[in-house]
Amino acid sequence: MSTIVADTLQGKTSATSITLPTTTNIGATPLVSASANSMTIRGEGSNTTNVQQGLCKSWCEANAAGTAITDSFNISSVGDTNTGRQVHNQTNTMSNEKYSAFVSGGSVGSNNVFAATYATNCSVFSYSGSAYGDMQMCSGLFGDLA
Amino acid sequence: MSTVVATNINTDALVGSTSATSITVRGEGSATTVLNQGLCKAWTNSDNDASRNDSFNIDGQTDHGTGTYSYELINHMSGANNYAQAGMARSTGDGRIITRDTANDSASAIAIECTGDDHAKADMSHDLFIVGDLA
Repeated sequence: MSTIVADTLQGKTSATSITLPTTTNIGATPLVSASANSMTIRGEGSNTTNVQQGLCKSWCEANAAGTAITDSFNISSVGDTNTGRQVHNQTNTMSNEKYSAFVSGGSVGSNNVFAATYATNCSVFSYSGSAYGDMQMCSGLFGDLA
Repeated sequence: MSTVVATNINTDALVGSTSATSITVRGEGSATTVLNQGLCKAWTNSDNDASRNDSFNIDGQTDHGTGTYSYELINHMSGANNYAQAGMARSTGDGRIITRDTANDSASAIAIECTGDDHAKADMSHDLFIVGDLA
């Protein structure tokens, strides 16, 4: 293997353009790219997966009152819509309401926590079977950004 | 800003240029998202005694008693309240509920409680994952 030691590389035909071989290794192992909306990455075995589709597009932990974000990503605000009911609003929204949401609640008895999905937000509910109850709630969204 | 157009890039590590901890990725449409924030930081597929069948970023587990489990993280989160988690029970029964066990969770451990439809804690095989801020 030959080694070029230089501070700067400059194109010959065009000073600002250099064409590299189809496969250019930086380091040793693989990542890949193809279209603006799709990057492929090698998984743990021989299969590949899609970077965009595998990313969680937003996540949020909100306080029990539903009035404050404890920590979050891509969440603009949270709202308390009623007892045991919160809405987590996204900054960059999804393309529609057909995405996969996960939600969970903090440990207060054993309420069921479930979600209703909309393009711009995710509503989170905490229900004991007989009544709604406030609790710390988390949400996260996997799916297509707008 | 530099732009690299390539079909294949072989590398062992990705580090943000402007900010080492943030890499932007174009999403499915015109919006962008952040690679670091979107990654699952830990996951486990575990049996009803907390033994792990497979996992990522976890090197230990504790069975705290009926239906209560925690898992020790290798690379810790930035705080107990700086991540979101979710999980599910693997069971053919009804009414399986998993909640975050705030008595046992921390920046270095994720914890859950499993309860049946009678609201009593019960041992169950389960899956668990988190997203959020690493330390």
